[in-house]
Amino acid sequence: MPQTTSALVERFIYALDELNKAPSFAKSKYQTDVYQEANRLIEAEDGFENLYQHAGRLEEAGVFQDGPWEAAEKLQPPLVAGSLKAKGLPMIIEVLSELRMLALAKGKATNPNVSPKMAEEFLNEVMVLNLNLLFPDASESSRIEKHENDEKAGRLFQFLSTHLSSSALIQTLINEIKRLTAQRPIMVKRIVSMIKMAKEMLDQDSDEQGKTELKQFISAIEGPSKLSAQFNDVHAYRSQLKTLTRTDLISESVALAQSMRETGLVAPHHATLIRFLSKRNPALLAYALNLNSKGSANLEENRELVIQLIRASIFPATRQAIYGLSMLLERGVLSHSPVAPGLRRLVELDIRPDVRNALYSTTNTGEGVTANSILVAGTIQVLGQPLGVGQGFNPTCQAARGISLWAQHAPGFLLEIIPRAARDGDLDFTFEGTPIHSKELTGGLAPDLDKELDPVSLVLVPHLDKIYSEMMTRVALRGEDGHRWVNPAFYGNWVQKGFSSVFDPITGYVLDYPGFVKLFYATHHTEYNDDYELIYPNPVGIFITNVHGKLLGLHAVSITRIAKDPSGEERIYFYNPNNDGSQNWGQNIEPSVIGNGEMEGESSLPFHEFVSRLYAFHYNPYEQGDAYAVENSIVDGIRQLAQESWGKDYTWV
Amino acid sequence: MDLDQLELNATVDETVKTKPYYTALVGWSVQAIEAAARMNRPFVVVGPADFETYAAKHEIPFVGWDFNKLNESSDHLYKQLKDMGVELAVPLYEECVEWAGALNARFREDPRVFNRSLLLRDKGMMKRKAQISGIKVGVFEEAHEKEDVQRFLKRVNQALLKLEGDHLDPIHVKPLDKAGSVGHLAIYNNEDIERIQDTDFPLLMESHLDGQEFSCEAFIHKGKVRFLNITEYVKLGYSNFVPASPSLEEKRPLIERAVQQLVDAFEIEYGVIHPEYFITQDGTLHFGEVAARVPGGHIFELIERAYGFSAYEAQILCSDPNTTEEEIREFFPDPYDYQNYAGCLMVHPNVDYVEDLKIPEELEDHPYFEKHDMFTPPQGKVAERVGFGNHYGTIFFYGRDSEEMTDLLKTYEQYNFYV
Repeated sequence: MPQTTSALVERFIYALDELNKAPSFAKSKYQTDVYQEANRLIEAEDGFENLYQHAGRLEEAGVFQDGPWEAAEKLQPPLVAGSLKAKGLPMIIEVLSELRMLALAKGKATNPNVSPKMAEEFLNEVMVLNLNLLFPDASESSRIEKHENDEKAGRLFQFLSTHLSSSALIQTLINEIKRLTAQRPIMVKRIVSMIKMAKEMLDQDSDEQGKTELKQFISAIEGPSKLSAQFNDVHAYRSQLKTLTRTDLISESVALAQSMRETGLVAPHHATLIRFLSKRNPALLAYALNLNSKGSANLEENRELVIQLIRASIFPATRQAIYGLSMLLERGVLSHSPVAPGLRRLVELDIRPDVRNALYSTTNTGEGVTANSILVAGTIQVLGQPLGVGQGFNPTCQAARGISLWAQHAPGFLLEIIPRAARDGDLDFTFEGTPIHSKELTGGLAPDLDKELDPVSLVLVPHLDKIYSEMMTRVALRGEDGHRWVNPAFYGNWVQKGFSSVFDPITGYVLDYPGFVKLFYATHHTEYNDDYELIYPNPVGIFITNVHGKLLGLHAVSITRIAKDPSGEERIYFYNPNNDGSQNWGQNIEPSVIGNGEMEGESSLPFHEFVSRLYAFHYNPYEQGDAYAVENSIVDGIRQLAQESWGKDYTWV
Repeated sequence: MDLDQLELNATVDETVKTKPYYTALVGWSVQAIEAAARMNRPFVVVGPADFETYAAKHEIPFVGWDFNKLNESSDHLYKQLKDMGVELAVPLYEECVEWAGALNARFREDPRVFNRSLLLRDKGMMKRKAQISGIKVGVFEEAHEKEDVQRFLKRVNQALLKLEGDHLDPIHVKPLDKAGSVGHLAIYNNEDIERIQDTDFPLLMESHLDGQEFSCEAFIHKGKVRFLNITEYVKLGYSNFVPASPSLEEKRPLIERAVQQLVDAFEIEYGVIHPEYFITQDGTLHFGEVAARVPGGHIFELIERAYGFSAYEAQILCSDPNTTEEEIREFFPDPYDYQNYAGCLMVHPNVDYVEDLKIPEELEDHPYFEKHDMFTPPQGKVAERVGFGNHYGTIFFYGRDSEEMTDLLKTYEQYNFYV
């Protein structure tokens, strides 16, 4: 006969009591039994509830002693999902740790280093990062990635959510949504699903401020105008549009456009409206896109082309491209002579079947959009929001950085390689006089590309990734950082030929760090570099560190601007292709994405903080300022930040 | 004697008895440390330096020591411990036995204590000593190279009057100084001889002994066996239970005599020994080997479950010459006084690559089932087994009937817990 929950609870209490009695050096001997019994309870009915009854004692009894979960204050929300997915012990201890946090949040236990508020914030953060487990959706990707522990994790989060304040959770969610939308990514799927989740959690107890803030986001994706809110179904909405007067059409256009500008999110009705206007009343398009004078002028200049593009690519399924189109017009990209024919070519391009399928996977079935429409819409987005390009879950920051750079400064080139890849299945780059064809290469950093990418990245990244890897392979034995040669060849002549790295190429030791820092100041800091402006983005290498400053790995970002922020502090503005530009890097170094003069999609840090994470950069050897003038106090400060974070993993000489 | 004097004498006795000398636990065992702490005995752990940080974190008095390094400076260990007030050393695992012996020889100023400990560390010498003392052993010899093994296999089978083409009777080889079954091989033919590692030489070869194998755990104080546990092996290295089943337990008087004979022959005065015997249907006992340390196979845990006393505490108590007769009497129960059998199964994956753990419900629901310590493993290749150590997990049982226990252990020994 299977054991009843109460029998299991008794066994658990016995094991916990034994552990509690054990002297500190012998805890490990008794922990196993506690984990075993906890595991049986996790599987049992009302198991979490029963475990939680004793959660206040777990820490004191020594359940976490001598293991990675020992110090509650050092735990990190982003790591929770991984442990819950792991088999066996990590899952069990992670569950117990969450219950410990809940006990701390509720005042059932105390910890000198974790206040109830900190514990609650931790749990809210965990919930927000794992919304897919709390509200399982039926999307294709979650179906494929279904994991055997998901069910347990889902039940755990359900349990936690009943004990946590929903307004605090919603507030955390809203902050997360704001943080992500501030960067105006091209891919908004995650943001949209977060808004939907927050909406589901709203109830009468939610506080007013949260409700108001959330309402703006909800209506942005569901219908931000009176008419769209009233006629939620786009077919009904479309019929209603025909009945509107010109004045009403203008106010409808303004309402939708305003919401789009404020949130970066586009409602499906907006696509219906734009299509309607492009046929019946093109003169109102400027309202529907909320264009500034430059954008309006650009629209006027290219009206026929824009109407053609709208007809070919703007549908409810590709609605986000409306934001891209507005930005594209305001950036004046259509005035580049190769852009118009380049875009027109895509409308009728003969796309290969494999690429076609990849593109289809970006929309839901039954939306009836052609692969060409998706590709044109995606191209409009990339050209309009070059800093909104992201690498998704792939280690392909190099390729994302390339697409972003070309979208900014070489749209003609970008429009050349998109059809090459989509139609011919090949890209060719010349490296030091030798052509490299991607179709002849295998491997790359991401042989199994995660498909959660914008259309242009879906088409280009598989090729760019392989080419970049091949270039790096060819220079691997030169005894110097290969980026020196590969970056200019890969990204193009916009990259400066001067190159400096903190590493000694032969030994891998950190060599002459002060010299490295001074050179960067002399070539980039406006007070030392004789006022040479940064013209093209500078692809640099940085150390990514976690919230405790521990080295996680190397990463590629691009410096976009160097300027004084509104408060007069010198800042480095940069593009981070991981689309999460405000991760905490430890030592109070936390890039901001809003509020310090950032443009959409930019992250920024005070100059010296950024330098403390830098490991390689390009510079123009003919534009150097006064390296000697950089004060030693500045260099010493940066050196200390570096040595106490990533520097611990390297030998310094 | 008038009353005043009596009181005075009692006080003197008291101070002598509670004189705070330290016990050195040689090796590393959390259970032993726990036992010492529970007994309120001042102690210090002499263990591998790897444990230093852990010991410091949990305020365990600790001296780091490399047991594989023999040199003149070994004397420092004695001096260091002596200065700390240590008067007694208890060995916890095989490699520590001669270290504890050397220390105790100095503490008790009796050099032979060390020699006796060496006897327990050399399986050849151990066998010879037993033979000289008239204890029944198989035919044995020491081998220094593979040719010795070939010759021994041939000679043993000649003696058994085997003809050309007959299946040979196996011989067993085991390195002279390794714990338990580490490096133990059964040799049936010349190909088996090739499987012997060069590092296993010198080794002990012996003829195969028929009969049921079992082990004893004898707690000895002042040269007398104070408590004898008999452990029944269901499958050597995989499953055993305590106490033995009635058929073996009824031979207890015979076994007790044999163990006392062994203790006398080896002049063992204090501590615990763990001898292994083979017993034939007609009650003939053959001595296999003996160790003077904590046995493997969770036997100490099983003793605690079946008899209700901590074998670790018993070991410390018996290792101390200062322990009184009264304390000994109070501590040990009657060996016939038990309710149930305590058994365990050591699980080792039967596959080379483990992906998942499957615990059948009927196992957990069985009334004898107590607990197990297996978790779903991170996927990976299974490590090769050394001796009977490094099993992946253990399942503990406790129940009234020794036959049911045997059946359970046999059934689940065949079961694939790891897939």
